[in-house]
Amino acid sequence: MVKTDLYEYPPELREEFEATEAIQFRDGSSATAADVWHFMTEIAPKRYPFAYTQKKYAGVRLSRDIHLPSAIKNHYLLLTMNDRITRSRENGAPVIFVQGGQSVDPYYAAGGIALRPASVGLWARGRHEGLGLNEEVVRQHKQKEKAYHAISFEACQTAGYENIQEGGLPIDMVAPFTCLRCSDISYGVEAHRHGPNKAVKLMNIDYPMRHQADKTWAVEYFAQNLRRLTSEIGKLAGREVTDADLSKEIRLHNEGRRLAIETAELWWSADLPPTNGVDRRSLYQMGGMEVHGDPSASLTVLRESHAYIKERVNKGIKAEGVVDKPIRLFVCGSCVFPNDFRIEEAGAIIVGQDNHWSDISTLVEEDGDPYQNLAHAILSYPYEQSVEVRAAWTIEQLKKSRADGVLFLYQWGCNTQSAIARMLCDTIKRDTGIPTMIIEQHEGGSEQSEQLLNRVNAFIEML
Amino acid sequence: MPIKTLEVIRKRLEERPAELRKLRESGQKVVGWTGYNVPEEIIYALGFIPIRIAIGGDDRLVEVGGRYASSKNCVFIREIVGVFSENEDPYIQQTDILAFDATCLQNFRAAEVIEYYFKKDVIVLGVPRNFYWEEGKEYFGKEADEFARLLEERAGVALDLAKLGESVALYNDIRKTLKSIYTFQAAKDNVISWVEVFDLIQAGDLLDKKEYLSLLHETLAELRALQHNPIIEVDGSEGRIFISGSLIPRGDRKLISIITSVGGRIVGDDIWTGILPHLDLEIKEISPAGVALGYLNRTPHAALPYLDLESDRRLKKLHELLGEFKAQGVIYHTLRYCDPFTFKAKETKDVLAKSDIPVLEIHTEYAGSDYEALRTRLEAFVEMIKIKAESAAEVIV
Repeated sequence: MVKTDLYEYPPELREEFEATEAIQFRDGSSATAADVWHFMTEIAPKRYPFAYTQKKYAGVRLSRDIHLPSAIKNHYLLLTMNDRITRSRENGAPVIFVQGGQSVDPYYAAGGIALRPASVGLWARGRHEGLGLNEEVVRQHKQKEKAYHAISFEACQTAGYENIQEGGLPIDMVAPFTCLRCSDISYGVEAHRHGPNKAVKLMNIDYPMRHQADKTWAVEYFAQNLRRLTSEIGKLAGREVTDADLSKEIRLHNEGRRLAIETAELWWSADLPPTNGVDRRSLYQMGGMEVHGDPSASLTVLRESHAYIKERVNKGIKAEGVVDKPIRLFVCGSCVFPNDFRIEEAGAIIVGQDNHWSDISTLVEEDGDPYQNLAHAILSYPYEQSVEVRAAWTIEQLKKSRADGVLFLYQWGCNTQSAIARMLCDTIKRDTGIPTMIIEQHEGGSEQSEQLLNRVNAFIEML
Repeated sequence: MPIKTLEVIRKRLEERPAELRKLRESGQKVVGWTGYNVPEEIIYALGFIPIRIAIGGDDRLVEVGGRYASSKNCVFIREIVGVFSENEDPYIQQTDILAFDATCLQNFRAAEVIEYYFKKDVIVLGVPRNFYWEEGKEYFGKEADEFARLLEERAGVALDLAKLGESVALYNDIRKTLKSIYTFQAAKDNVISWVEVFDLIQAGDLLDKKEYLSLLHETLAELRALQHNPIIEVDGSEGRIFISGSLIPRGDRKLISIITSVGGRIVGDDIWTGILPHLDLEIKEISPAGVALGYLNRTPHAALPYLDLESDRRLKKLHELLGEFKAQGVIYHTLRYCDPFTFKAKETKDVLAKSDIPVLEIHTEYAGSDYEALRTRLEAFVEMIKIKAESAAEVIV
């Protein structure tokens, strides 16, 4: 691929960007804005050309909102995943595969690094340099095919099998929550037992169901799961994990969660969307402090972004590429979302998602037994409650975000989110009259299928 | 020679829906249950009439159920939802209360869908995924206490432990008798087939428990009279087939009928509508938690993940049953979107391959469209294991 095919950050932006804040990492090191600029303009285009694609609708392409420093810094953190995680692991931090949409406080409290499936995929992707967009997509699909072969072609979530068992990715432990969000995940963990990598430790963090947060024995059981988890990670990290370690981590993660909530409320309050959909999602997710594999880095970028969003909202600055009064869509369902670029081209914008937001917006009590507090908070995730409770919470988010319509998306092979789709949508329609649409997404290439996007566009048109 | 009691059982099954209707009119309540760790003894001890909701084989109902759940749920779950939607099944019509467990998460979702759309009174028993941990067992014991409490509320009486003890004794006797009968179907010169025993086991899901036990005793007596000493051994080239994998509920006889039609002899199973749930259930304490733990400590259902392949009791049990019933090949049956079993299909094949046991995976649903494709594959498999058995016999000679 010749360099002229790739996107380039405008050189005139350099001075403005280099005046922004440094990213602080958990190990005490930092990356100045100048470091980030150098990496993103000189190094990454050579190592990861796919990310610089000019293809208009490619899901992986960089945000074009270049005046939002966090957009560039977010991409920096994603593109340096291999460098950073590999280094941290070499320095003694065990890496643990987790579920998406779950809090990661106990993993970090025990000295580990928690990576959800997407982040594990990013780490694996970072080990293959010089690939263009199509080459990268083919690589990913070939890799995933290995998991289908070893597990089942009906699998959606494979618990990183393709990378950990068949790709040589040095994950130390696979230990996700087993919540209803995804029924494949615990079977995916189990599948590792027949893989060639016998070094990886396996554990399911067993999430009780049905009025779980109201049952003292369920909270106690989940707290016991968390204690076992921190103990096992502690062994890998060569340290004893105290209650104080977890309390400290909860306070840190609560800061991220609070900041994400404030940022979301600010974003939702604006007459004009202050960012595009891609950057909005990145900002909210940084509150979970898990997407980059470094909570401190996510937090510093989120703090800085918050100030930028505040300024844009106060000054009525609208994000580039978004129409003045876009149709506001809220996305529910499993770990997938429609293509933001196409949505925005059709005159709409995604204003929120229940996935991830459910855990990010759940604060943890800071006084008292940290395991009990964390267990209670986790078992209270709205996403994991009965349909009526989940719908009531979703409706609250719809009102806050002033959503015009709801898209419920689930991935092909997703059994438990697909099964709640109609119930949730029917409840939302019953209680609010807000139109809803359910879509199943198949794994595609670099862009989503025309069939899916036609339906989304028709929905937007109808709204 | 036909077993007379089997005829009686078939007749009693025909009469049972009307009988249930009368019993309900006289004030008794029917609890329909589904799942893999529902302690039925508690339901029975509280004076309810338990019936198992295990219905399959109707592609039209799968389609109907999918409209409420989704097309990505296993066909069994979709059919269950479809059955409640139409409410035409004579047993479903008689249910007052439903008891589901969360062993399989799709089963859990089915409970939610049925509760939401069809306004059924549903009780759900939580089941630990870490079922082998002491903490998991303790959690399950508490869930069983809660399960009993919710049933007590509906029964309007407290659970009498003496009655629970009687219930456990009754069910233990049923399990023991079934196990004895099961041996006959696998024996040389068998006087009862696996299909007949399979139907007999499933009759117990619906009939009155005391009457059922009595009928089982009569069946066993008949069998003993016909075959004094059943010996399980390979007889020539029978094509002895063992069925493993996803459940085969009442109404779904596609796979079974194809196997028998192509000359295979089914001699054993470890499916959850077959003999497996009746094996190794030891109740050490007469209490809701004690009964529930007996269930949890059985061979685990595939929906409960176990993270060490070498010590997996499900696979050990499979090997044990294959040996006991002298099976020559395994049909590993997976239903569309039944993740607990499809995720383990290749692994199970690999494990059995080490023991030189041929395995054929049949991935299917309730539609008849794959009938001929299945027949071709099953015919080839049965032929193959017969040839293999003949070759082995020649070597021994």
